[in-house]
Amino acid sequence: MSASPQTSSPTTPALQARGVRKSFVSGRIQSTVLHDLWLDVHASELTLISGPSGCGKSTLLAILSGLQPADAGGVLALGHELSGLGMRELEYFRLQHTGFVFQGFNLFPALTALEQVELPLSYMGLAKGLARKRAVESLEEVGLGPRMSLRPSELSGGEKQRVAIARALAKQPELLFADEPTSALDAANGQIIIDILHRIARTHGTTVLCVSHDPRLVGHADRVLAMEDGRILSDHAPSASPSSAPLREPSA
Amino acid sequence: MVALARKTLVYEWRRFLPAILAVGFAGLLQLLQAALVLGIFGSASVYITGSAADLWAGYPGTQSVNLGRPISEDVAMRLRMDPDVTNVEPFRWVDADWRGPRDTGGVSVFVSGIDPRADGMMFSHALPPALRAKLNEPGAVIVDKADLDSLGVNIGDTAAINGQRVRVVGVSSGLRALGGVNIVSSLDTARVLDIAPEDAGMMTYFVAKVRDPSKAKAIAKRLGGSDSFGPYNVWTAKEFARQSQLYWMLDTGAGAGVLFLAGIVFLVGAVITSQTLIAAVIGSIREYATLNALGVGRGALRKVIMEQAFWVGALGLICSIVIGIAMLAIARSRSVPMQLHPITAAICLALSMALAIVSGLAAMRSLRRADPASLLR
Repeated sequence: MSASPQTSSPTTPALQARGVRKSFVSGRIQSTVLHDLWLDVHASELTLISGPSGCGKSTLLAILSGLQPADAGGVLALGHELSGLGMRELEYFRLQHTGFVFQGFNLFPALTALEQVELPLSYMGLAKGLARKRAVESLEEVGLGPRMSLRPSELSGGEKQRVAIARALAKQPELLFADEPTSALDAANGQIIIDILHRIARTHGTTVLCVSHDPRLVGHADRVLAMEDGRILSDHAPSASPSSAPLREPSA
Repeated sequence: MVALARKTLVYEWRRFLPAILAVGFAGLLQLLQAALVLGIFGSASVYITGSAADLWAGYPGTQSVNLGRPISEDVAMRLRMDPDVTNVEPFRWVDADWRGPRDTGGVSVFVSGIDPRADGMMFSHALPPALRAKLNEPGAVIVDKADLDSLGVNIGDTAAINGQRVRVVGVSSGLRALGGVNIVSSLDTARVLDIAPEDAGMMTYFVAKVRDPSKAKAIAKRLGGSDSFGPYNVWTAKEFARQSQLYWMLDTGAGAGVLFLAGIVFLVGAVITSQTLIAAVIGSIREYATLNALGVGRGALRKVIMEQAFWVGALGLICSIVIGIAMLAIARSRSVPMQLHPITAAICLALSMALAIVSGLAAMRSLRRADPASLLR
């Protein structure tokens, strides 16, 4: 344990990594991807984790979002300790509290944009009318109101990613995780996506944790964590004005 | 609830088509096979099922109706003595050789000597009274119209059975039997045609009608109890028909063949269907993984797969029912012996649905690859 968790924000963190360690075994070689990592992520902020591929940022996202268990350490999400939960409990936690946006859009070819967004809502047990209303609102929020009856094959890449964001957003999650959300998109569409993610953090008070090595995103995040070799090297807030940003101590 | 399974099935129907066809053809094959087997082996007992008798008395241990041996006339007395028996009628079975007017060579035939009275029990379902009456003419015979070609005759032609002259006075349908051509004559004609000396004057069976057919089983048991009237046994018509069909099915090995084929059909259908469903699951594996990341449980995802399998099965069944009905209609119009009871049909269709469900279970296993963490790499 190199350092205790430092919470520079007055509010309690929405998401906390406490000495998270993860290693993978390939053949006979065991490689450690995350080294006893400590991290606080705050609500209403777009937090960007950037770093070269293989630095462990996706693994960190998987562990913080409850998709993968850590080898050691704990994850505190919205006051829940995730490390002790079973598969079903994790699924339930994710159903209630989290949204995901992936690099691939992963939309069902057979469903219209509206149905894609409604689908997870129906599993949350929402009434049909309410699910429909929320789905429409989310699609309108990402600017797809007029195109919600189209199938993925009729949408552009940027529009598909916006459907994917609406699908996550309609759940009204407290935690929104995005993994390389712009890397399959051109500059203009990437810009739209990152603006939407930023706006979601601001207007909905959502904790948005985004993993990307796309340098275009750095200027739009509230906080940027630079990762390398399983450690967080720097932690700063660039968007206000990068020069005067208060440099937070790396927490690992 | 968004109908993911159904919408995917409709939108990607090309992907699911092989599975639907596999279930459909498996169902169709099972149906037609069952219908053919039941039709062919059902005709082994046409003597029984085509007649109105409730009880059959014959030589003890007779395994099939075509294997009867002569029994004593006293058995008829014994049957008549029973208060529940209302009518007793003799039936003479003669194994014979047919020579037709056309060059057909020898044809092995079975002569059924029956009582030609209008209210006679034997072949009452196949022979209307007017036709039966024609049998009173000495040497008159009636054949199934589907057998005319193999016998090489037309109505009105004469031929020879065991060297005796006979004349075809009419045709009917529902007389076709298994193992040899069934030829109906009067008891008198049959006696003339029977050249085996030891059979002289002996009947092969006595059939009887009872007051209350629902008691037939108890009466048969009661009547079969003694052998003071010579060796004989009494069966209900249903028992004897079943016994005859089973004898043929087992004797020819067809029963095992049918089961073997049904197994093969099931296996091939399940392989195609499960592979198609697995491919469909794998094709959407990232989408399923995304749903799982969003918190949709594995159980719910499995339900989607099983629902897909169910619809594939249902569509397949519709295919097999539609084509099956058409095939049965064609077969009937061509006198192909096909017979399908609703229960048999239901079993065949249930097997096809089971095939789809088993394939769905196999496809469900590949959902394990829907690991949301894999979407992050």
